[in-house]
Amino acid sequence: MERLLQYVFDGLSFGAIYALLALGLVVVFRGTGHLNFAQGEMAMFCTFVIWQINDWGVPLVFAVLIGMLFGFLLGAGTEATVIRSVAKKSPGGVFVVSIALFLGLNSLASMIWDRSEGYTMKSLFPNKPEDFVRILGAEWRYKYIGVLIVALALMGMLFLLFSKTKFGLAMRSVASNPESARLVGVPSGLVLAASWGIAASMGALSGALVGGINGQITPSLMFTVFIYASAAATLGGLDSPGGAVIAGLLIGVGEQLAAGFAPGWIGQDLKLSVALISIFVVLLVKPSGLFGSLKVERV
Amino acid sequence: MSLLKATGLRASYGQVDVLLGIDIEVNEGEMVVVLGANGAGKTTTMRAISGTIPRSGSVIYDGHDIVSQSAESIVRSGIAHVPQGRGTFSELTVEENLRIGAYVRKDSIESDIARWYKTFPRLEERKNQRAGSLSGGEQQMLAIARALMSRPRLLLCDEPSLGLAPLITQELFTVLKSLNQQDGLSVLLVEQNANLALKVASKVYLLETGQVVASGTAEAIAGDERIRKAYLGG
Repeated sequence: MERLLQYVFDGLSFGAIYALLALGLVVVFRGTGHLNFAQGEMAMFCTFVIWQINDWGVPLVFAVLIGMLFGFLLGAGTEATVIRSVAKKSPGGVFVVSIALFLGLNSLASMIWDRSEGYTMKSLFPNKPEDFVRILGAEWRYKYIGVLIVALALMGMLFLLFSKTKFGLAMRSVASNPESARLVGVPSGLVLAASWGIAASMGALSGALVGGINGQITPSLMFTVFIYASAAATLGGLDSPGGAVIAGLLIGVGEQLAAGFAPGWIGQDLKLSVALISIFVVLLVKPSGLFGSLKVERV
Repeated sequence: MSLLKATGLRASYGQVDVLLGIDIEVNEGEMVVVLGANGAGKTTTMRAISGTIPRSGSVIYDGHDIVSQSAESIVRSGIAHVPQGRGTFSELTVEENLRIGAYVRKDSIESDIARWYKTFPRLEERKNQRAGSLSGGEQQMLAIARALMSRPRLLLCDEPSLGLAPLITQELFTVLKSLNQQDGLSVLLVEQNANLALKVASKVYLLETGQVVASGTAEAIAGDERIRKAYLGG
């Protein structure tokens, strides 16, 4: 029982991080129909920026906020320059460009922050050995609770933005029918740049949270996180923000349970495969993902 | 008084020239209809005016040349375009479709929503449904109401009757006619159903392969033997 609860607690926190990054993927996909393969590396790069600013003496909380702003500009700038000019000419080209960004950002980070053993990243939350609450025998560490709360709060804000604001409505209209969005006067370029900005900004936060949990960062920080996030986005349905969040949490918990309850034959090494195989099975049965929508239109 | 005057309007898709220099004029408060066979350039004319495709020539609207303006700023200046095939946002609810229609406005839009619900009661009944689940006729009503949410002075309406039952078409045309006559809205209408269009329009342009081949009052066109034979089915 304690073990089960323990895995669920840990899984929820990791899952919340996957959900953040997955939500970024979904926001971009809904706006432009593209998967941004550089999403994870953008997050990693922003995390290093956050580390750097923190290292210069700025308190971590502010460093994270500045890093998120940097992420917004990085994402929006990338869309407005390289992505948009390529997307007009060849949709497949966007795929190549995002792979190039992936590699480019990774090399750039390795060049600037070149210590091979990585850099020590502080956690946003209390992280001494005694910083935990005990619930039914399981330890819930403050840093995990903090991660869960911050991630869920940001996602909640994002859902309010989508559903309650004029800007959110404009974003959804561009996603639904770009041609009609222009006809009603929505500046679709601005909206798409902002979607990429928001996605990258959430990535920056997820990177800072992962870094804080791991206690140290290297340029490969987001590799597995990105794989889990892509899996969550696919499992939830690429066009469903709510689906991405739920799938992210499910994958986080599932990963901990698989690794924890079958340490002998799954363990830490195979847990990634378990996640991917279960997604494969779900997609066989439900091709648009758990919560994704098939386009339905009467004529 | 001239509200819209297109002169020598040209447009092409890639290498293919579709509009070869079109002259069209819509006066304030007028309902003008564009007739023509498939491929004559009717839809392209509408898109060239609303700025959704590259075009050249001159389009004077309300005293300003808008031929090089973006689609967004053309909506802002008071031209709303109901595209062919309706172009509703299927994933958004009916009410959200109306709200986004008023995107360019800063003032309160609640009274406008109420007004179009009154005009189209079926939209109010379905206000929380996704637009994609509406019938074709309801979607056309929604498309028109959405365009009107921007409070346009000129409404471009591209084949509203396409694929609709005669009764629904009749209903839509009654609404369009009353908007034109009661509210003084200027309308530029593309329509395949020439007999219907001639009943509501005051002026007619006849398009053939990207050019205006005839124009005149609705009575004159309806009375022209040659045109009757070619376009109105005897």
